[in-house]
Amino acid sequence: MPAFGRRALMAGCGAALLAPPPVSGGDTGVVEVAPGVFVLPGVMEEASSANLDGIGNVGFVVGEAAVAVIDPGGSLAHGQRLRQAVSAVTPLPVRHLVLSHVHPDHVMGGTAFADLGVEVIGHAGLPAALAQRHDFYAAMLEREMGSAGKGSGALAPTRLVEPGQELALDLGGRVLVLTAHPPAHTDHDLSALDRRTGTLWLADLLFVERIPSLDGSLPGWRGVLAALGAVPAARAVPGHGPAAVPWPGAAGPLLRYLDMLERETRAAIAAGIGIAEAPSHVANAEAAQWRLAEAYHGRNVTAAYRELEWE
Amino acid sequence: MIRSAFPRRPLLLGAAAAGLAGPGLAQGIEPAEAPRRAERWRDLKEAIFGDRRTEPAGNAIALEAPARALDAAAVPISLALAAEVVPQVRALYLVIDENPSPLAARFQAGPSGDLRVLSTRVRVDAYSFVHAVAETADGRLLETARFVKAAGGCSAPVGGNLEAARQRMGRMRMALPEGPPAAGRAVPVQVALSHPNTSGLQMDQLTRLSIPAEFMRELVVTYRGAEVLRIESDIAIAENPTFGFALLGEPGGELRVVAADNRERRFEGSWTLASAG
Repeated sequence: MPAFGRRALMAGCGAALLAPPPVSGGDTGVVEVAPGVFVLPGVMEEASSANLDGIGNVGFVVGEAAVAVIDPGGSLAHGQRLRQAVSAVTPLPVRHLVLSHVHPDHVMGGTAFADLGVEVIGHAGLPAALAQRHDFYAAMLEREMGSAGKGSGALAPTRLVEPGQELALDLGGRVLVLTAHPPAHTDHDLSALDRRTGTLWLADLLFVERIPSLDGSLPGWRGVLAALGAVPAARAVPGHGPAAVPWPGAAGPLLRYLDMLERETRAAIAAGIGIAEAPSHVANAEAAQWRLAEAYHGRNVTAAYRELEWE
Repeated sequence: MIRSAFPRRPLLLGAAAAGLAGPGLAQGIEPAEAPRRAERWRDLKEAIFGDRRTEPAGNAIALEAPARALDAAAVPISLALAAEVVPQVRALYLVIDENPSPLAARFQAGPSGDLRVLSTRVRVDAYSFVHAVAETADGRLLETARFVKAAGGCSAPVGGNLEAARQRMGRMRMALPEGPPAAGRAVPVQVALSHPNTSGLQMDQLTRLSIPAEFMRELVVTYRGAEVLRIESDIAIAENPTFGFALLGEPGGELRVVAADNRERRFEGSWTLASAG
């Protein structure tokens, strides 16, 4: 499998930040970043038939009674790979499927878990986002992946967490605390804290090495990151980047990028630069530090512009 | 008046649905797609203009659109007319061929305005031609086109934080990037209305949610009491509909914008354009 080779390479790059993480689960590709916390690392590429849209970090947390999957992957095939990894690691049943946000690389593998009848948990804003985007994402996967994307789809949430609220999931001897955030990366981000190991699963609230994508609120995201910085956790699982990174230190580059994006977009608006021209004026030196900047930075400037012009 | 906007829209929606059912949806600009795209544009023209003939605009219209959309939710489009056709062109149509509702906007010059420059931001659902058709006072139709590749990644036609637009619904912005109008000199103006501008959803299959349609149907600009520009639009215009145009006239007058949405809500804004110095 060519995708595997690339993924191993990426995991190697990420490992420079931490001691090399132990690998378990046979050849399923998952990384145990803390006892019972498993990450299937995504590749740093755009979605394609070769990588099966396995471009985001997804994974699961194993308690003494049950398993919670956090994001089922970017396609049916990617979700199936994750499900096989769960089976390889534990005989315990998957009882909860946590959806961090609507983006296709995190939710479109849901169909791989459809027959389990699991509880599907999301932010209270997730159903509206799914309703407005799911069909569009399905068409996009078909365009980017061809037949490799067939059968992919999200599962509808069966349990919602209101913004500002927490939900404690008891997995048996281990409680996973889910928090619904105000608009940040998207307008419906959900994070998970495993108190037992001090692991903060941030999904796309945290990007490392791969350029972030802004789809919620720029000042909001900075605020949420600032608040999360106070959470006592040893490590975080980013949505894109290494399987795990030190917390809160690993948020530094993201905060720097967002800060520069905000300041320079404001300056462009104040200078009367239009939305079509703004991407070539804003934070390009900073963006060049990130992977896949060419695919996302211009879009981030546009999104920032559309928000900040109404201040 | 508002109700008469886009009298042929049901027909257009029908044409769009037929196109979406085709096997070649969003396959990019492969040569194999060319006949289907050409046929689609013929169908759309017939739906909008009946049996009237169009002719290539040549240098009469400069249509600018990005070859690759950065953000499917807000693709900037701008149009400029060659000086010699400015007095003749009284209406301009903007069509996004592959969108569910292809006719994005119709711009009508008022008695004291013209269409020399126009800009807006649109939603682009798929790889699509964007067409502009100028209608002259003597009934000629001049067409031009640009091909836009849809955005990839997590981008989607509906933006990421519609609630913010809804919470400040009705608020308007006006900007004069080059200052107030001066005698004999047209200046660019940009106006925007905070509005989610969404098509809504009838019972989404996955989530069982229904979301009501809310979109701007009409926006009229007047200066010193005379109509400058009238825009009829719908869901292809990005959230917080934003329009740029040129304004001619003496400084010191009142610029007034009146907009209405499909739920008959009315929004107004006015600004006195100070004389320079």
